[in-house]
Amino acid sequence: MVTNVTNLSRSGLYDWMAQRVSAVVLALYTLFLLGYVVFNPGLGYEEWRGLFSQNWMRIFSLLTLVALSAHAWVGMWTISTDYLTPMAMGKWATTVRFLFQAACGLAMFVFFVWGVQILWGI
Amino acid sequence: MFAAIAFMLWLLDISLDSERGFEQALSILQHPFAKLVTWGVLSALLYHLIAGVRHLVMDAGVGEGLESGKRGSQVVIVISVIVIVLLGVWIW
Repeated sequence: MVTNVTNLSRSGLYDWMAQRVSAVVLALYTLFLLGYVVFNPGLGYEEWRGLFSQNWMRIFSLLTLVALSAHAWVGMWTISTDYLTPMAMGKWATTVRFLFQAACGLAMFVFFVWGVQILWGI
Repeated sequence: MFAAIAFMLWLLDISLDSERGFEQALSILQHPFAKLVTWGVLSALLYHLIAGVRHLVMDAGVGEGLESGKRGSQVVIVISVIVIVLLGVWIW
């Protein structure tokens, strides 16, 4: 099956690595932001905006957006090539898988651009 | 998760847009249904995170056996349930 033409790096090992590195970035960002809101109960607009206008926070957020895009692509690619196969759904599998991957890719691209606009709009 | 990302990005967008947007985001999060959605979103995210940490531990060669793998998955479920309950307490 020529399914690896759609994987992120054309290399399973590199995808494996990208998935783990992006996972660590996503975990750090999630825990940081969750910790920030949990430990700042009366959070106000100025403080919230102030956090996101810091350079390091913008870099951290953008890094997370990139990591999220890569992580989502590798994850959805793995799921779709595992389960949307001719064995599971017959001769239309390639079409279905292609459309599924295209939809995921489009959604992630929209989220990425939207995220950049939010961060740069401050 | 895709719908969850859209929900969270939207809240981030309006909360950073203006003082009014921030208040609006806060009041949206006060709504009982939005609280349920937030709980669902964060539960899914944190379960994914905790199960992901188990994957990294297994990559390091720990807990790969049949018995230890079983125990590892049980530990993930237990920790996730505790975290999800705490999350619910925090939200409500």
